[in-house]
Amino acid sequence: MHLRKNKGCRTNQTDNHCAGKQCDRREFLKKAATAAAAGSTAMISGCSNGILSPGEEFKLQWLEYFKKYYRLMTPVEKMETVRRLERLAKIRKGVDVKIGNQEPLDDVLYGYAFNVTRCEGYMECVAACVKENNLDRLSNTQYIRIFEMEHGEMTPDAGDSKFYHEVPVQDHFYMGVQCFHCENPPCVKACPTQATWQEPDGIVVVDYDWCIGCRYCIAACPYYGRRFNWNEPQVPANQITRKQHYLGNRLRAKGQMEKCTFCIQRSRNGRLPACAEACPTGARVFGNLLDPDSEIRFVLKNKKVYRLREDLGTDPKFWYFID
Amino acid sequence: MLFVLTAGVLSISIGDAVSSDGDVSQTIKKAMVPTNDAVKINTPMPITESTVLVSTRHQGGQFRTETRKNRIERFRCSQCHNNKPVTATDAAPIAHNDIVLDHGGVDKPLDCMTCHNQDDRDYLVTETGTKIDMDHSYEMCGQCHFRQKKDWVGGAHGKRLSYWTGERVVKNCTSCHDPHSPLFKKRWPKTYSPPLAK
Repeated sequence: MHLRKNKGCRTNQTDNHCAGKQCDRREFLKKAATAAAAGSTAMISGCSNGILSPGEEFKLQWLEYFKKYYRLMTPVEKMETVRRLERLAKIRKGVDVKIGNQEPLDDVLYGYAFNVTRCEGYMECVAACVKENNLDRLSNTQYIRIFEMEHGEMTPDAGDSKFYHEVPVQDHFYMGVQCFHCENPPCVKACPTQATWQEPDGIVVVDYDWCIGCRYCIAACPYYGRRFNWNEPQVPANQITRKQHYLGNRLRAKGQMEKCTFCIQRSRNGRLPACAEACPTGARVFGNLLDPDSEIRFVLKNKKVYRLREDLGTDPKFWYFID
Repeated sequence: MLFVLTAGVLSISIGDAVSSDGDVSQTIKKAMVPTNDAVKINTPMPITESTVLVSTRHQGGQFRTETRKNRIERFRCSQCHNNKPVTATDAAPIAHNDIVLDHGGVDKPLDCMTCHNQDDRDYLVTETGTKIDMDHSYEMCGQCHFRQKKDWVGGAHGKRLSYWTGERVVKNCTSCHDPHSPLFKKRWPKTYSPPLAK
């Protein structure tokens, strides 16, 4: 038995009775801790002029530490944590971010198609992704990897992904690899804390604050789709994308797993992911798999499509096609 | 307690039965009802580009594409290309020397009048003599590149503007390709990837 995507956040709230007890304990701990923090604040501010008093940042961080698993939060709790995170971003980075927590849209299952004939290896998508998703500039984290491959090759194992020369090169083609948002995701099965799961609209997401950093999911993913924060991610304050999502491009911390979310902060608002919007050759097609009129459905119906390592049974929602 | 457990097991087994095929292609095949995303999703910012309704319909009905005329410097062409003599010296090189004509390859090179209308310079003209508005240049390209046009209409060639949903607005042929030398040029990539950690 495996977790199915239909057990999304909303259904899980009602289904997961067994988690109620744990929540109560967590709730108790949180309240006790908050009370203790308040007590110590009063004590310290009473006897000194506030130098040692835990500031607003500490209080917010304290409450963040004792918050619930995202899928078990009530709408009110979601709003509270979003507010706290916005305030923390303001305190730490001096940036006014807007963190959303839009729920998945009904009758939508996101799918992606990549035209290997059209991609010329300009890497505009990679740059756009790094900017949009607030990826760590220090370790040069990138969700997308473009492989330069010789004609006739099918998997990127033999390709070169570190190319830096004028593109396109004669007799080569380019193949982009990122998280494929599998319908049967091995990373989700591997996660011991259920910090990663599949949303009803097909996007595999991570609750960054529930991730314990064990990196089992990296080992489980056959596509090199996941990235780990080995260091505290560094994004210059003036380059932070301010429109964020709780499960998407909000600022991460050291020791947390992250991955492509089909730009959840954009796609759930009807916008194209940053990579698809940036692509100068139109090699990237994104849309709703459940809408027979969508572009992605046209591609699946009319073009020669294949998926990477289909034999593994991961059922990716990311197709490659040729003209 | 036992009741809750039984109910839990039941609900799990029902959940599995519903999704027993486990294959996304089955899910896709079953979904045959067009969804009207335009109603459900409010696009926060309307598309600001100047667009025009395409004369062909795609699988979901009408769609729009970016205009061309407002991007052409010195349009209308008939400002110069009329019956009056041009008095400025070197007018033609000054106006058009930036154009590099590299279309059709060495075998079948195109010249200006393959596409441009000799008699009415504000328009293009097809091989069969139909006048084409420059905003509808896809009609011109589609004469030879009919496969690409079919894909463009359906959505496998070219790209949408900004949104995957709502009213379909796509880039025109000339938004991405220079019609005078349509092949994408060799250039340096925007960035590079660090070596894979093994």
